[in-house]
Amino acid sequence: MSDSPTLSILDQIAEAPADHYRVLKISDLDGDRLLELSKFMKLSLSREDMLAIQEIYRGWEREPTDVELEVIAQTWSEHCKHRIFGATITHEIDGATETVDSLFKTYIRDVSQRIFDKKPGFVLSAFHDNAGFITLDDNLAVCLKAETHNHPSAIEPYAGANTGLGGVIRDILGAGKGAKPIGSLDVFCFGAPDTSMDQIKATDVIHPLGVMRGVVRGVRDYGNRMGIPTISGAIQFDDSYIYNPLVFCGTAGVIPIKDINKKVEAGMKVISVGGRTGRDGLHGATFSSAALDTESHESDQQAVQIGNPIEEKKAADFVLAARDKGLIGFITDCGAGGYSSAAGEMLETCGGVIDLDQVKLKEPGLVSWEVFISESQERMVLAVNESALPELRKLADLYETELTELGTADGSGILKVTHHGNTVCQLDCSKLHDAPVRKLKARWEKKTGPVDAPILTKPGEALKDLFTDFAIVSREPIIREYDHEVQGNTVLKPLAGASGDAPQDASVLRISGSKRLMSMSVAILPEWGKTDPYAMGAACVDECVRQLVASGADPDRLAILDNFCMGNPDAEEELGALVETVKGIAAAAEAYGAPFVSGKDSFYNYFETEDGPVSIPVTILISGMGIIEDAGHVTGASLRRSDSLLAIIGHTQSALGGSVFARRHEIANAEVPATSLDEAFKCYRQYYEAVKEGLILSAHDVSEGGLAVTLAEAAFSGKAGLEIDLCSLPMDDDASKAAMLFGESPSRLVIEVAPENLQKVATLFEGLPFAALGRATSSHTNLVVEWGKETLINESLTDLKSLWKNGLAQYY
Amino acid sequence: MEERPCAVLLKFPGTNCDAETARALEEVGFVTETLPVSALKPEKLVGVSLIVLSGGFSYGDYVMSGRIASLVTEQKIGKTLGDFRDNGGFILGICNGFQILTQLDLLPSGSLVENASGRFQCQWVTLKNLAPTSPFLTHLPAEFEFPIAHAEGRLVTKDAAEAAGYLSGGAAALTYRDEVNGSFERIAGLQDESGRVLGLMPHPERFLHRQDHYDPDWKSTGEDETRGSGYYFFKSLYEAIKNGEAGQ
Repeated sequence: MSDSPTLSILDQIAEAPADHYRVLKISDLDGDRLLELSKFMKLSLSREDMLAIQEIYRGWEREPTDVELEVIAQTWSEHCKHRIFGATITHEIDGATETVDSLFKTYIRDVSQRIFDKKPGFVLSAFHDNAGFITLDDNLAVCLKAETHNHPSAIEPYAGANTGLGGVIRDILGAGKGAKPIGSLDVFCFGAPDTSMDQIKATDVIHPLGVMRGVVRGVRDYGNRMGIPTISGAIQFDDSYIYNPLVFCGTAGVIPIKDINKKVEAGMKVISVGGRTGRDGLHGATFSSAALDTESHESDQQAVQIGNPIEEKKAADFVLAARDKGLIGFITDCGAGGYSSAAGEMLETCGGVIDLDQVKLKEPGLVSWEVFISESQERMVLAVNESALPELRKLADLYETELTELGTADGSGILKVTHHGNTVCQLDCSKLHDAPVRKLKARWEKKTGPVDAPILTKPGEALKDLFTDFAIVSREPIIREYDHEVQGNTVLKPLAGASGDAPQDASVLRISGSKRLMSMSVAILPEWGKTDPYAMGAACVDECVRQLVASGADPDRLAILDNFCMGNPDAEEELGALVETVKGIAAAAEAYGAPFVSGKDSFYNYFETEDGPVSIPVTILISGMGIIEDAGHVTGASLRRSDSLLAIIGHTQSALGGSVFARRHEIANAEVPATSLDEAFKCYRQYYEAVKEGLILSAHDVSEGGLAVTLAEAAFSGKAGLEIDLCSLPMDDDASKAAMLFGESPSRLVIEVAPENLQKVATLFEGLPFAALGRATSSHTNLVVEWGKETLINESLTDLKSLWKNGLAQYY
Repeated sequence: MEERPCAVLLKFPGTNCDAETARALEEVGFVTETLPVSALKPEKLVGVSLIVLSGGFSYGDYVMSGRIASLVTEQKIGKTLGDFRDNGGFILGICNGFQILTQLDLLPSGSLVENASGRFQCQWVTLKNLAPTSPFLTHLPAEFEFPIAHAEGRLVTKDAAEAAGYLSGGAAALTYRDEVNGSFERIAGLQDESGRVLGLMPHPERFLHRQDHYDPDWKSTGEDETRGSGYYFFKSLYEAIKNGEAGQ
């Protein structure tokens, strides 16, 4: 037995010029050894990446330092460079082969660019900043950004979600020269709350209830303390998320248009504001894929980040005050990669020197790379004129936040980092842009086909059953835990209507200083993607756009975000589903003229159980923002009168696939409804004409649960009963009763209009799918749905609402 | 030109309703200044008619809500707020501000503790106006709605009799019509003996416009139907201060 432990690869190749950093001799290593080094250092770089780095350093005729390798790993990480969305993918679809040269360029950027060109002046910034901006009015712009925090939330739900929201709020504070966060969204995918422990095939997995409660409280405690209303959200429950829950956090912001463009100039000082730097959050991007071992205690400590919203609130107050005084040249947040990413982004063309000795630490003894890549929360990095420093220091004192001078932008084009008198990193960032392009294979085969529609003997019972489904039940217990009214601008709240507790589609914010308003909404339909990812993509964009338009937004002034989550991109069928999803969202975005202005992707959302890996289904969240021209256009989703008429916009298809009804009745692989994009958008424009003419009392989108659920939800305001007849419903000839009542064909809206206005509205929809459905009534409080002479549904709205309200309440 | 009364909004780290509260005050006619507590000195309050402690989570409220803010305030300016009131000044505490005023002993004794539900509650509530002659409430009807958003809004007193005394003695200016958070006697807001200090958990600054109400068909009882009840709350205060100054 040997006394000395085997030397790690790092120890074998390291020269230590000082005890705080090391030079690593990589020039002679072969691919295997390079990969071993990448894994040991948790760099998440592939063999090809490591070989490319070796080549770069051979060209420079020197060896890298550990700090430099960490910086390159961050620069080339999936998180920062979107390697999979930039990959060349050979995609086989139903037997035919196509090559996609970068999903991002082909389907996201280029599609959006064509829309930007058609709408000059609308999108003011997209893809390159922390968030994309669209024009609100002559002086102000609004932005939206969404991110995921899946792995941290799986392991420590409270802290994971807490810092997830904290991080995306910083994105907004670092967008332009600092945007003011004005509203947040949260979307979660969990296992079902009633999952039995026996169902969970792995140890150390937190039960979905524990995940849900922790995540909600994490979002609550950050958002509420920051004073940002959490106004929009959704939850999906599916067994495939038991092991790998998804947590999307998004925040919207507002900024004066003159403050959008930011620039670093030689001579500017680089400063850090906010929290101190510690060992928390080292390798946050990679920890969850590393197996637990004897070092797990240490690595857990490093991976779990601690949120401190008050620290961030103080930094936010400082940033917004400094921006208003014109003291900021450039600003960005410290997210993944910490100072290395923030300073790297800031100095990538200008170059400059960062002195790590200046960094204020939470604890002594951090080595150079730890200081530089720590993802400690609540830090913002700014470039400012030296002459502004005294005033900035005063502001920092006023708001009780710590300001640290880190270095200087110098125009050299070189990112130089010093520590304890040594140069620990010296990189020409312009030479690092070309990470090797990955080559991947994908394939997808059609999974759906005709199925026999079920015989619906008791539609009323089927409706009641739907109102107990987790996909449909009220999120009220969660919504009430979030302060959704702070800032005093939430005009259309997530729960509203005459009773104050009825579901709405989009949420609407008044913007201080503008006559215009902003609508926000989210759409997520993972069930659709299991069998038809293309249809899922198109339908998600459709639902998001439809909700924005329903709330009163101008259909020609919308922008959307794409947030993808998937399992293993090296599994061809999973990647194939991703490619199809991307094609679906691209087609819909282009048809609707709703550009992508920001997006993010999250991979490796799978878990190794005893029975093999469990991947999540490819999941796309489309979140969107829309401009509402006038407060009078804001339209809620709840019935307002007992003497009004109801009508439907949009065509009902026979396809039942993807619906909650199909899942509950175990109808497998049914055809999923397609989205008729051009027709749908014509309908949205006509709807907007009706809104502008003041003809719409309320409008509710038809989504989970189909038409019957939509009608009941609209009537949950308690204003009236409903008498509906489906005999003139625009639909496929072969649509079954189940499809009419519970199918989830996209692009449909149920609208409420005053009796004297129905004809005017109908005229607007000539040549488009539109029909009167029935009327509101004060003579009873039931939902009555007839089809000619047959009564399909006659249920008490009070009973339905009680099912809907209590579905989740018993678990939260 | 007519001089407008000045309101100072005291801002602690974690105070987060100051912007909309300042907006509300300005809308009814006040001049406002938002004063971070780091810059707080007694002389900053000279010439000021109203001091407002707005909502939020001062210092995170990780220990008893409002506790640290009250200690910092006392450390900075001692008993200046009490003197300010004694000299005719008005003090308003909304939500976290109410919690802080309670800690500062500027209101009848009591503590705002965790809601009986154990939850943060963001919802609208109906309030009963028990002090229609209060300078804060003159323009409000006997019952009206405001939104609440708090986790620690349950007012408890040393015994049930004390809370009952607040009800009979007039300290309880506002009560919840329905059971909301477990407050003794459903108390939602307290005033002091002078009537110039009011603390309340609900947020009047979130209901300036008719459109802020959850029901799109809500009808205002005020003279301007586009205004919400919160507007009339601040309007009452503004007029009381203006009239008081005119009378001096």
